[in-house]
Amino acid sequence: MPRVFITGIGFITSIGNDAATVSASLRELRHGMELYPPFQKPEIPVKVAAPVKDFQIDSNDPEDWKFPARYTIKREILRGMAPHGVFAWCAMQQAIEDARLTEADWSNPHTGLYAASGGSPQLMGYMLHRMHTQGVMRCSPLGIVASISGTVNFNLVAHFRIKGSSCGFSSACASSSHALGYAYDDLVLGRQKRMFVVGAEDGNVDSILPFAGMRALSLQRDPALASRPFDAARDGFVGTGGAVVLVLETEDEVARRGARVYCEFTGWGQASDGHNVAISHPEGLGLQAAIELALRSSGTAPEEVDYINAHATSTPIGDVSELRAMKKIFRIPAARPAISSTKALTGHGLSLAGAMESAFCALAIREGFMPGSAHITRPDPECDGLNIIRSTLPAQPQVVLNNSSGFGGANVSLVFRRAG
Amino acid sequence: MPDAVHSNQGSNKPFPFITKPVAPEDEAALRESLKRCSPSTFEAAIQFRKTGNPEHLPAVVIGVIERFVEPDLRTKLKDADDDLRLIEDLGIDSLTMMEIVILVEDVLQMSINNDELRNLRTVGDVKTFIDCKVRGLPLPKPTKFLPIEHIAATMPVQPPFLFLNEASVSSSGANAKYKISGQEFFLQGHFKDNPVMPASIMLEALGQLAVLFLLEGLTPEPGKAVNPQMIFFTGCEGVRAHRVCKPGDILTLSIKPKRMKMPLATFEGAIRVGQEKAVIAEEITLTFGFMEVPAQPAAVNGAAQAGQPVNGEAAQPTTLRVAASA
Repeated sequence: MPRVFITGIGFITSIGNDAATVSASLRELRHGMELYPPFQKPEIPVKVAAPVKDFQIDSNDPEDWKFPARYTIKREILRGMAPHGVFAWCAMQQAIEDARLTEADWSNPHTGLYAASGGSPQLMGYMLHRMHTQGVMRCSPLGIVASISGTVNFNLVAHFRIKGSSCGFSSACASSSHALGYAYDDLVLGRQKRMFVVGAEDGNVDSILPFAGMRALSLQRDPALASRPFDAARDGFVGTGGAVVLVLETEDEVARRGARVYCEFTGWGQASDGHNVAISHPEGLGLQAAIELALRSSGTAPEEVDYINAHATSTPIGDVSELRAMKKIFRIPAARPAISSTKALTGHGLSLAGAMESAFCALAIREGFMPGSAHITRPDPECDGLNIIRSTLPAQPQVVLNNSSGFGGANVSLVFRRAG
Repeated sequence: MPDAVHSNQGSNKPFPFITKPVAPEDEAALRESLKRCSPSTFEAAIQFRKTGNPEHLPAVVIGVIERFVEPDLRTKLKDADDDLRLIEDLGIDSLTMMEIVILVEDVLQMSINNDELRNLRTVGDVKTFIDCKVRGLPLPKPTKFLPIEHIAATMPVQPPFLFLNEASVSSSGANAKYKISGQEFFLQGHFKDNPVMPASIMLEALGQLAVLFLLEGLTPEPGKAVNPQMIFFTGCEGVRAHRVCKPGDILTLSIKPKRMKMPLATFEGAIRVGQEKAVIAEEITLTFGFMEVPAQPAAVNGAAQAGQPVNGEAAQPTTLRVAASA
């Protein structure tokens, strides 16, 4: 079985739009939250979000959008994109440069792209409103391509001339972890030599606020307190958007290109709760099973795991489920991996979360640190027996686990290991 | 007579100037719709809204097209003649064409159906089309693209004396290409060890294109058709040859009707090789005659015509086929 490595990453996130800034934010526990201007209305009880900086892409008209000058995207490409398509485009450019790929390397039948996004509720709403008010034939010709949930893969695959496997994954907050898992399988099965994996979300009013209806969002007004996974007083998640792209390559390609690697991707597992459409299993049974499968498939013993990037989104129910799942596996004293949720810094990226946090794990392994779990004042009593780290540890983890859970009780766990 | 003549007659009538006010919110909406177009586009559109005068339409249509053309290609549109092609010359793909149509529909408050759209190949096609729609006139024949098989089947002239490889014919003129292969029989003697396309043959090629226009571009009255057996050369004037043409050169021929009065049809013609002028003929005059054919009412109805594929699949642009891959 060929081994799989992460060789390139691109970041457009609430805590930085390049790897160096993201790495510094993670080490220094600098969060990306703010009192989000569109939420500052009396009728909106949610006040805090974690928007991407240096992009102005609120308009429904792509020609109004502004993004950093180092990226150029033509009008004919922008017109078929959602706001998070621009994030994804920029992250893709970074990942390609980071991996030092040439177009010949990626535009061939051996290179594919998997993506995860929730689509663009804003553009979908705009398009449907226009259809109802102006007439069916007055919808933008590319309104569908820009707004439905495959928009990221449609755009990147076409514009970057990807010739291998391509599709989108839709398991809500587990989506981009699923994308990573299946990309790994394609490489291990010899179907592809290189895979781009993309997670992206708009992270704006229309993609975040609908979660208020299910009481999943934090109503905190203090940006430094709104997202505090594992804290006893947590009251919901903070929404964010952005895009992260990871480049996965087989060991043969790494050797052929002389690529610099972040870490090895050694396996993954998934399992479902079979319990509730929106609430995670109270004992975390599905996630526990996913972690056990991930460890088994990667040949990893629980006591080898040094760091877990938890899914914990800062919701009262979800965080407890995950704590219980982890306690069942990492219970012996010798196996107490450091655990943190970087969502305290970034907010919850929904379909973006799995890819973003896997990229954080890759940075942590290559650069030798374990990011702390920020904003905990009083830990939830359920944390007892687990090593939740409240500040960043300057030590290099050898084996890292990344958890994700999505609606419907879908759970994915991914295992990364220091290369060498 | 060609349909183009109908629309000329239309514009020769004094237009009834009834000025109607435009509500401020409608003007604001129009300004918003045209915010990425030149100010003159908005001015023309607001004048059209107020007066309904179709004289303002070309400025609106060109302004909308310009807004969707990549900036580096916009200069082409500045002094565009009506033969400028939307896809080949301006890089407008079928999706952009739909964006243009949606904006034109919005600005001119009209609706355009897919079949009509499919026939618009050149800037002139678009201008004529919008003009006819607004005036409520029947639509002209769309530009037809004729492959060699169709040309040979239509023309009284046949190989080895046919000098058109492919052609396009609209109601306002015709264009064609001919590649000098080097196998033409007369090149053996013209000249000794130095094959040069005779200027007389190039003039013949322009004449052949004029014949094709008479057969494919005219819409005579119902029950009549141009008789291919009755077209003959009568004269030419102002002929100048500017460039020696040799095997390998691709001649781009174009003719436009100048006068049409039974039994004479006078054209101007030009041949280029790339951007270089090769031959100019200020006037080429042919004589022609009609023959009786069973009347085909569809021939004068643009909408009905648009439904029938004129020249097989090769003539169909890719417009509006994108949904097939959804």
